[in-house]
Amino acid sequence: MNEKVVTIVLIVGLLFSLAVLAVQASSWHLPGNQQGYEPAQPIAFSHRLHAGEMQIACLYCHSGAEASRHAGIPPAGTCMNCHKFVSAPLGALRAEDELAKRENRKPRQVVSPEIQKIYDALALDGHLVRDPQKTEQAIVWTRIYRLPDFVYFNHSAHVSVGVACQQCHGPVETMDRVRQVPDLTMGWCVNCHRTASASGVASKPVQPSIDCSTCHY
Amino acid sequence: MDSGKTPQYWKSWEEGPGAADLVQISTDEFPEPLDRPAEQFSRRSFLKAAGFTAAVAAAGIGCSRAPVEKAIPYLIQPEEIVPGVSYFYATTCGGCPAACGVLAKNRDGRPIKLEGNPQHPVSRGGLCAVGQASLLELYDSHRCKEPQREGKPATWEEVDRQITAQLALYRNAGSPVRFLSGTISSPTLNAEIRKFLAQFRDARHIVYDGLSSSAILDAHKDTHGERLLPHYRFDHADVIVSFDADFLGTWISPVEFSRDYAAGRRLDAYPPRMSYHAQFESRMSVTGAKADRRIRVSPQELGDVMVRLAGRLAHLAGAAFPLSVGATDQPLDASLDDLAHRLWQARGRSLVLCGSQDIRLQVLVNFINDVLGNYGSSLDLERPSQQKAGNDRELQALLEELRDGKIAALFLHGVNPVYDLPNGDALAEQIRKVPLVVSFAGRLDETSALARFVCPDHHSLESWGDAEPVRGTISLFQPAIHPLSNTRAVLESLAIWGGQPKAAYDILRDYWRENVFPQRKSDTDFQTFWDRAVEAGYAEAPSAAPKPGHFRAATLQAVPKPARAGGEFSVVLYPKVAMLDGRHAENPWLQELPDPISKVTWDNYACVSPAAAQRLGLKDGDVVRLEADSGKGSAAALELPVYVQPGQHDQVIAVALGYGRKATERFASAGPKWLFGGPDVGEDGRIGKNAAPMLILAGGSLQYVHDGVRLTKTGRRHALASTQTHHSLTMPQNVPLVGGEHREIVRETTVSALLAEAGKPSPAPPGKNGLWPADHPYNGHRWAMAIDLTACTGCSGCVVACQAENNIPVVGKDEVLRHREMHWMRIDRYYSGDADVDVVQQPMVCQQCDNAPCETVCPVVATVHSAEGLNQQIYNRCVGTRYCANNCPYKVRRFNWFNYVRNDRLQNLALNPDVTVRSRGVMEKCSFCVQRIEAARIESRRRGKPIADGQIQTACQQSCSSQAIVFGDLNDPNSRIARMARDPRRFGVLEEFNFRPAVNYLAVVRNRDYADRTSKEGQNHG
Repeated sequence: MNEKVVTIVLIVGLLFSLAVLAVQASSWHLPGNQQGYEPAQPIAFSHRLHAGEMQIACLYCHSGAEASRHAGIPPAGTCMNCHKFVSAPLGALRAEDELAKRENRKPRQVVSPEIQKIYDALALDGHLVRDPQKTEQAIVWTRIYRLPDFVYFNHSAHVSVGVACQQCHGPVETMDRVRQVPDLTMGWCVNCHRTASASGVASKPVQPSIDCSTCHY
Repeated sequence: MDSGKTPQYWKSWEEGPGAADLVQISTDEFPEPLDRPAEQFSRRSFLKAAGFTAAVAAAGIGCSRAPVEKAIPYLIQPEEIVPGVSYFYATTCGGCPAACGVLAKNRDGRPIKLEGNPQHPVSRGGLCAVGQASLLELYDSHRCKEPQREGKPATWEEVDRQITAQLALYRNAGSPVRFLSGTISSPTLNAEIRKFLAQFRDARHIVYDGLSSSAILDAHKDTHGERLLPHYRFDHADVIVSFDADFLGTWISPVEFSRDYAAGRRLDAYPPRMSYHAQFESRMSVTGAKADRRIRVSPQELGDVMVRLAGRLAHLAGAAFPLSVGATDQPLDASLDDLAHRLWQARGRSLVLCGSQDIRLQVLVNFINDVLGNYGSSLDLERPSQQKAGNDRELQALLEELRDGKIAALFLHGVNPVYDLPNGDALAEQIRKVPLVVSFAGRLDETSALARFVCPDHHSLESWGDAEPVRGTISLFQPAIHPLSNTRAVLESLAIWGGQPKAAYDILRDYWRENVFPQRKSDTDFQTFWDRAVEAGYAEAPSAAPKPGHFRAATLQAVPKPARAGGEFSVVLYPKVAMLDGRHAENPWLQELPDPISKVTWDNYACVSPAAAQRLGLKDGDVVRLEADSGKGSAAALELPVYVQPGQHDQVIAVALGYGRKATERFASAGPKWLFGGPDVGEDGRIGKNAAPMLILAGGSLQYVHDGVRLTKTGRRHALASTQTHHSLTMPQNVPLVGGEHREIVRETTVSALLAEAGKPSPAPPGKNGLWPADHPYNGHRWAMAIDLTACTGCSGCVVACQAENNIPVVGKDEVLRHREMHWMRIDRYYSGDADVDVVQQPMVCQQCDNAPCETVCPVVATVHSAEGLNQQIYNRCVGTRYCANNCPYKVRRFNWFNYVRNDRLQNLALNPDVTVRSRGVMEKCSFCVQRIEAARIESRRRGKPIADGQIQTACQQSCSSQAIVFGDLNDPNSRIARMARDPRRFGVLEEFNFRPAVNYLAVVRNRDYADRTSKEGQNHG
């Protein structure tokens, strides 16, 4: 095969591709970098409401962060600790109460459509009792913070020395829908490890390693 | 250390005394011939073109999002579970009847690794290769997924209805019902079988083992009045004499025996102990390789040698000995005198064993042990072993009944007689004629394929159960996972057919409440006792001890003098450590495990001695035909490739059992598929050949020696995938050293030399001057390993443990032939000597050098040194130049030539989620199990406690039954590793090059004078 022809064809192809890419330059980012990722979730769960207004501690739901690699998404059972009693926002309940008073009847049970999804997942009936007619259905969340398979990040290692959740996850307590705040690149990890060994975490000295095998094995 | 005479080591016959090609083999970059196709489009221009394509692709990927990943939490999370945290459940290994204790490491609901249970009274923390690999069989997609009726899937209700109906007929008619099983030491299952069979008038439970020890039990019936297998206690023995018993490799309970054997040979203990071990054998076994004195005898001579030893001991003891010891002035006289003297000196603290299936020889061994007063100390009859209970006499009777077509119903549990008995084809015909055949096999094997009903049992990791390996010690099985498919425990099946359906858990618990708990005097509450037993994985429950009588000398029978029949060879059939009797033939980890002695993978072969090979002009891989005379057994012929095995008797051909299973046809696609790929299976589509037709079942025992076998050459060749010359350590003699001398890669010494040197300071490791500045201060930890070569038997449990822990792929036979096996850990086996060879086993892992040659040549800094002394390999940074592997002096780096076969999604459940699965084009190697180091570090920080010595165990160390491997922090002066690094026996491999390896080896110590080695006695007689 004539190598010159091959080379010319390839150069032309490259230039063409670059021209096409230049048009989309604004959305260009490094492969794997998902900064700003904010997908819709199966349940419109609001961290602003729960962690912000209600001030529920992060670890109440993400208890794995203390003990495990994974912070974990709480099982539906954890939701039911509160949502056994809370089935709708306060405003909706009050409105129903007033409506009932006006119509001179007993107030009906109000269930917000989002909380209904938890009850459906657990196959519960109107009285929050397991309905044998229904089947349990797992809640399939869309993962936001995601590291490549060759990186081993451990939540418990960071939580136990006192790294605040917000340091990596940003102001989650202000977000209605969770967004990926940092770029999760290796430089971002290593910079923090470097600063922490100089300044400590929560005014305590720490020795975060920057050996490759701290995260890659 | 230099006072022991250092022998010349060699690895295979070709490079040893056999030929002088050593230098050529070791200096060629590619030992195998290369054939490069003529190039049209050159490699260089291909890379140029590829570069363009990659640049465009990378730019394109930049604009795309990664695929959406879902996260699915529990609905109701079990209270004791935190996702991502591993839990350990104590259970029992189901790999063989030895019943070692294991801890099943469970992660997110599935077992991912088996570890030895350090508290278990039988195995005490060790686990063999088979045990380690049995995990993979849980996730085998070839297991039966539901019951079968006449080869078609059925439902349990249907199967139960038909079997119950048929059994009712037999119950009323009094037809003969037979239950054929392998050794079952489970008291609950045995009770359930007894209960099930009690409903029939003519019912019997027959037990046989593919690897039979029936003669030992029969001999004790004759000499002590009870059919028992003694519990051998090697830790109580200072002198061990073994006649063809491979107790460190495959015989009865090798994990337990290795541990006890190593306990008797601990030079770092106080006071130091070093037992004396003599081995008489015809082939080179794992045990023989460890012996202080190894004497080659043919199977025919074995009896004669034993009679002469017994005669000498009887003379020393002043006991009557009815047999003739023959003329004086025979070969081996001096050795036998010496041995008899040693045994007599150590009476009550010695142990004589025999692996033969000749009852006369076993009676003779009992006589010797009785004269020496070993019963009650190194042989325990009051708490006998129950790990082999086969009765070959009853098996013979059953086969006769089958031949006469007398049997109405046959139940098969844990056996594959069509495969592992001689005359399998005839037996298959007879089994087909039995009206009701029910098999409990979890897979369709040669026998269960003939069964009318297959009622698959759970895998041992899915079921409740128990086992009593030694009387009074009951080990518990508990499920580590919900059954993966529609299988059912045998306990439940029998209960249903017996008319009393009950869950396996209830059957087990009720049995324990009624039979085990009452034995426990100290416990008052069953629930507490049960909970503790489940947590520990075993319980001690002293039961009524058997009352064996005293030795009856009248039972001694004359042993015929060696006489050679017709042909010129005896075929000795032996089990390999990985394959045993073939029950694990479908396990790719075990198929690819190099045999500890021959280093051959994926095959069995005919081992011949170098002298015989030379005489017949045979080379490794020449296919020969072995024909047995039809006189004793039936006519049998086998065609097998030759393997030249140093140390083997010249009139013996050794052939491994357990190969040629039909099920191994699945391995046709074991390796990667590519243009130049070769076959991974033999010509008949299987792995190896079945040698069972050569077995002889006669005179009440299954015999593993077939005399009078003719050998003829076929002229064909069959390549053997032996890893023995792969990754050889070589030192070109012309390489200049900085003020050092060339040292041996392995070192050995003797007890006397070591004692003479005691107190002298150990030689300091070579100087610290070199090219590299001292840039590794090691302020925190400094991880290091020590391997005691005196303890290592080469059993290879560590190799499979490493494979399971570190997600190491299986590459298939063709790739092994291309030197591309992926095991991070290899065990180098060196021979020394000429005809009576010595063997040294040296586990070789990444040495994590301080001055690592690999680190300096990596162009992308993908392999770098950590602050704690680890030589890190970073997969995501590696671009696959392979410079590091070229520059590694220890040849421990492995390259991913392909994305190895991981198509079986079920099997992928066995992957360790803490270790990256490497992709094509990436270098990998031993990491000192860095994932375990990191886990321990995180745990210690979380709890605010420093990492304790011994808290981190590498996978190989955890599995080692003889505790040869120690891992720890060299910076802690009180750690075990620091003590071992100060041992006078310590040496580093290739230390003279100033690599400063972090792996410390402790020299092999043999309990002998080197004068023994030069003695020509014992060679070429008989």
